[in-house]
Amino acid sequence: MANHAIEVEDLTYWYGDLLAVDHISFHVDEGEILGFLGPNGAGKTTTWKMLTGQFKPKGGKATVLGRDIARDSLKVKGEIGVCFEYTNLYEQMTAGENLTLFARLFGISGFKPGPLLERVGLSGLEKKKVGEFSKGMKQRLMMARSLVNKPRILFLDEPTSGLDPVSAESIRSIVLEEKQRGATVFLTTHDMWEADKLCHRVAFINQGKIVALDTPHDLKQDYGKRALKAEVGEGESLEYVEIPMDTDKTPDEVHNLFSRKKVVTVHSEEATLEDIFIKITGRGLEE
Amino acid sequence: MNWRSIAAIVQKDATLFFRNRFFAVITVLGLVMGIVVYFIMPSTLEETLELGVYSPSLPPGFEELYEGEIGIQLLAAESEEALRENILEGEYSAGLVLPPDLVEKLSQGEAPDIKVYIASDQVGDMEAIVGVLIAELTQKLGGQSIEVDWQQEVLGRDMAGAQIPLRDRIRSLLVVVLLMAEVFGLASLMSEEAENRTAIALLATPMTVRDLFAAKGIFGTVLAFGQAAFFLAVVRGLDNQPGVILVGLLLGSTLAAAIGFLAASLGKDFLSVAMWGALIMILLSVPGIAVMTPGVVSGWIKVIPSYYLVDTVSQASNFGAGWGNVWQNLLILLGFSAALFAVGILAFRRKLR
Repeated sequence: MANHAIEVEDLTYWYGDLLAVDHISFHVDEGEILGFLGPNGAGKTTTWKMLTGQFKPKGGKATVLGRDIARDSLKVKGEIGVCFEYTNLYEQMTAGENLTLFARLFGISGFKPGPLLERVGLSGLEKKKVGEFSKGMKQRLMMARSLVNKPRILFLDEPTSGLDPVSAESIRSIVLEEKQRGATVFLTTHDMWEADKLCHRVAFINQGKIVALDTPHDLKQDYGKRALKAEVGEGESLEYVEIPMDTDKTPDEVHNLFSRKKVVTVHSEEATLEDIFIKITGRGLEE
Repeated sequence: MNWRSIAAIVQKDATLFFRNRFFAVITVLGLVMGIVVYFIMPSTLEETLELGVYSPSLPPGFEELYEGEIGIQLLAAESEEALRENILEGEYSAGLVLPPDLVEKLSQGEAPDIKVYIASDQVGDMEAIVGVLIAELTQKLGGQSIEVDWQQEVLGRDMAGAQIPLRDRIRSLLVVVLLMAEVFGLASLMSEEAENRTAIALLATPMTVRDLFAAKGIFGTVLAFGQAAFFLAVVRGLDNQPGVILVGLLLGSTLAAAIGFLAASLGKDFLSVAMWGALIMILLSVPGIAVMTPGVVSGWIKVIPSYYLVDTVSQASNFGAGWGNVWQNLLILLGFSAALFAVGILAFRRKLR
């Protein structure tokens, strides 16, 4: 059995009368990338804040790297890296100064920001003020900041939100590199495509509860429907045919399709994580 | 306390503070202006002594008695009340009220009833001068020296018998203004930390909220103290009782840092923080007036915390007051600083949440 980097039992948090996180339980294995998916207000950021020691749980227990986050948050913070959804860098300071400051806060002496900046594609910009960076560059610097202490767990909150495709892909590459290094990644996102591409497992959270938790593949198997979609006909009289792939009639229907009609295009279709989320919760991720 | 983290934040704040042109200009300009204002103020007291005189029937040619003599000028007042008001307004340092039968009594060799009013900041030397003046007066008008047992009343707050040049009187006011000017910068730095959510990033490291507040408090106190101490050293404000003054400054700097926390928690952005800072600065500068114009302000001024700093600096630097004279001031200042620090930190902590 793999060791659990994160262990959550009956975790609860509320704001006044609003129950934001409703007795959730899950674990994340060491070296695993877990996607925490849900629409705005579902409770994913509140969970993220409890696990990173920003909020003290109001009920239940969360253990990070074997330590109770409520009692031992300072030691936990020393071994995790946190990357926020919003930019919170010192814009009047240079990229190098930003990283060096955080290295000092982690107690790292003799820190050189150059290699880390190079890793996130910001080489040569060590002495440039952050205020002059684009949004994508700032997000990459935020990512670099979260890696300053070579964290055992990386907590990422919507790391590619609002980024151009190149910057977003750069961030995803770093996440995968960290996985290769052996780090555990807790990724909060509402980008289903990203979660599907990066995560070993995904958890769907809705109204403070985890409603599904599995690998993207198994979720699709369990909740999705596979189908063959074809475009048939000629000229302007094109029509679309959908054949379910997992029934007894599938071979005959496919045979009939190709023998009786002129097929223009054909492709298989499987459910997306978003389809599954909607199926489970009855609501979309962008709500 | 994690001193490594505190040192890192103090260094970061110093970098950001002096990289911000506005704060850097306020700091340097404030210091330069303070020194300039001090040195353009008169450094010596008026050499010609102006004295008011009132009598229902002033002897003819009385005002010319001292004409041509260096150092004394007599000015007639219309009434005893007018004489008192003129002294309070600083037109002259002292005044004599002579009886209508002055010449008659002097010629008979009797001592006349003379009343003397002295401005509170002129008591001391002035008592001696008035004594000599009355003796000369009796000699000139009566032809013989007669010992007069005159009545004396001090107008305004008693300044313990010392005369102080204007530049030294304004010194403690300038110190408070310099200290409070730092509230702007400190409050803005703290407010930005909350508004830009960089504080949340700092607290995602092994740094506690207590460490963060300690760093801010230390930076604010050191910045304000350094500036005020430098100013006083340049304007020779540390010549008397430097230990007392430096402790007073340290407590005053802590007070400024505490007010910085309060202003930061009240304002939502740089402009509103600056507005709150200016309002607080004006309020805290008011006690300086008490030293500039003694007798004008009443006891209510003592509810303003900066009064105890102004009074300590003024008493120690101008009158040589030691620990025994100002310990109560320092204790009250410490109490105010601690209380405001606690309130400021609580308010700012709420803002961070």
